[in-house]
Amino acid sequence: MTYAGPRDLLEIDLSERTARRAALDDAVFADALGGVGLAVRLIDERVHGPLDPLGALNPIVFAAGPFASTPVPAANKHALATISPLTGLLNEGLSSSHFSAVLRRCGLAAIVVTGIADDWTTVVIESGTVRFEDAAPLVGRSARETTRALRESYGDRSVRVCAIGVAGERGVRYAAVENDGRQAGRGGTGAVFGAKRLKAVVLRGRGEVRIADPERTATISAALRERAVGPKTAKYRVLGTGANLRVLQRMGQLPTRNFTAATFEGAERVTPERARESRGSYLELRAGCAGCPVQCEHLYVRKDRDRRSAAASEYESVWAFGPNCGVDDLDAVLDAIGLCDELGLDTISAGSAIAFAMECAEHGLIAHDAFGPELRFGNGAVLVPAIEAIAQRRGLGDVLADGVRAASERIGGGAERFAMHAKGLELPGYEPRTLPTYALGLSTCTRGACHNRAATYDRDLRNPSEERADAERARDAIEAEDRAVAWDSLVLCKFVRDCFEDFETEASALWSAVSGVPLDARGLREAAQRTWERKRAINARLGWTPADDILPERFFAEPIPAGSNAGRRIDPERLAELRATYEALRRQAGAAVPVGQA
Amino acid sequence: MTVELFGMSRALAGRPTVTLAVEGTVDYAGFVRALADAVPALVPDVIVPARDALVEPNLLLLDGRRAPRGGERFGADDLPCVLFLASGG
Repeated sequence: MTYAGPRDLLEIDLSERTARRAALDDAVFADALGGVGLAVRLIDERVHGPLDPLGALNPIVFAAGPFASTPVPAANKHALATISPLTGLLNEGLSSSHFSAVLRRCGLAAIVVTGIADDWTTVVIESGTVRFEDAAPLVGRSARETTRALRESYGDRSVRVCAIGVAGERGVRYAAVENDGRQAGRGGTGAVFGAKRLKAVVLRGRGEVRIADPERTATISAALRERAVGPKTAKYRVLGTGANLRVLQRMGQLPTRNFTAATFEGAERVTPERARESRGSYLELRAGCAGCPVQCEHLYVRKDRDRRSAAASEYESVWAFGPNCGVDDLDAVLDAIGLCDELGLDTISAGSAIAFAMECAEHGLIAHDAFGPELRFGNGAVLVPAIEAIAQRRGLGDVLADGVRAASERIGGGAERFAMHAKGLELPGYEPRTLPTYALGLSTCTRGACHNRAATYDRDLRNPSEERADAERARDAIEAEDRAVAWDSLVLCKFVRDCFEDFETEASALWSAVSGVPLDARGLREAAQRTWERKRAINARLGWTPADDILPERFFAEPIPAGSNAGRRIDPERLAELRATYEALRRQAGAAVPVGQA
Repeated sequence: MTVELFGMSRALAGRPTVTLAVEGTVDYAGFVRALADAVPALVPDVIVPARDALVEPNLLLLDGRRAPRGGERFGADDLPCVLFLASGG
């Protein structure tokens, strides 16, 4: 059956200033679906061995979500994949909103960008053409300013732009790429843009996006939309993910001061819920992606300040600059988040880099005054100058701009003990010592320490004291990994995950209705497993070995010091056994790539 | 029995704790019914209309550490908390 949606692949070579457009076969969509599945397939076809992530050969792949620009809710999304300059491994991020929809309206399933431009360049893609424009006047501007300037220059407010800020231009290895106020943040894709001297990609397209079975698509989408405005998503709609903070604090699982503790005495002062409950002091603004009924983003700013400085209060961002830096000043945390968005930095990695520096300073490995205000846990005044120095690669900021793994090697003196990362990617705000299945997923995740690809904490959090067999935990980790691939290939927002009664059955039916390519639940699981195998195969070609699937030594050597989980640590032998069980189960499932030692 | 509330349950109740009219111990379904009696606004966003279970992703954990086993009875000393599954994006 013929794939109904936009099917063109646009290949852009910045060195040669050429563009080539060709249609992808039906078989490609049947094999990889779209989004992450398609992006990973396209990387797999182009990366044959170790390469310099900041070199000409590293491809940047945009792959549209196959439900973008259709009635399917929470699905205007696209994947953005490359080889990460932070980890040296595959990095597949997601972004969303209007840019994702217009990608398909340009008739495109994917874009691959290679090469390095001679000068700063904006690539402009209109429905049938590609132009290379001088981006020199945009250098030094934020993604938001860049978008505004480009729209003004075209006299068209409807053009869609993805761009990097100063951090990407300066090659900060955790620089983000932004479109429509959304960021593909993790893993440093913004630095790959910068290395290619690619400031922005502009889309202008109004083409029709064909749907194979519009009636069935509308019926399924309407049901999903109705569920997406019900109780299953209320915590995102009403409170936002920042509400996690109080919950994890009560559970004694809130990583604090660079994972030296799991409860934070200042948690109540820094929770975004406090701003929401203090309507006399704070203004709350709401935002969300195009076509999404959840509208999960909650931005806050003090009422006596400019509302344009309102900052997003996502849990991971608040955690990174709040508890993880020991900072209990919500205004300082919101300012740090807003500055990261302006400069184009991943908030998790930036906060983790500062927390790492704070601990290094407390152990006398670096100067306390490296950023002006004292570099110590709890000092909110150091966040803004530290972030500016990182984005500008100035002084200690230049060291931290390469991520905590590389920074610890440069600082030396045992700084490696304080570098909280997996495969080079800084850890998100969940405590592996209290979440055994998550610890396994975090170690095996092909992207490094990504909570969205290794979302195995769900089962652990349901009953933190539950004893479970290794095989059960390993199966949960595999299922979570493969299911994340399915979500990210379709690409649906994970915030509607509870809105499906039987995800594989319903989602495969939705795919069939939209694309016209038959798929059942089993086929969806098999497609996800194929993509997971490709991810690991790519990493293996880039030099990954099973020995890289480790967690920071702190989790084995330092028990949680206080709180309801005091004394808990990860037993290294137990984790090794879990990993062996995981690998054995992957082999049993027919994984056709290196899966490590049993 | 005092119950700590988090997330939507706290937002809907408008307070961080609520006291249930429960003497001694109670099982899961009895707990949810007592909670619905104390804070009717929790139905249907946090408590299902049948008033015998919490709506996912809300969950009951004792002292924020463990879920009650099937049929287990628990009391105020077990420090019941209505939490939710934390998840980021």
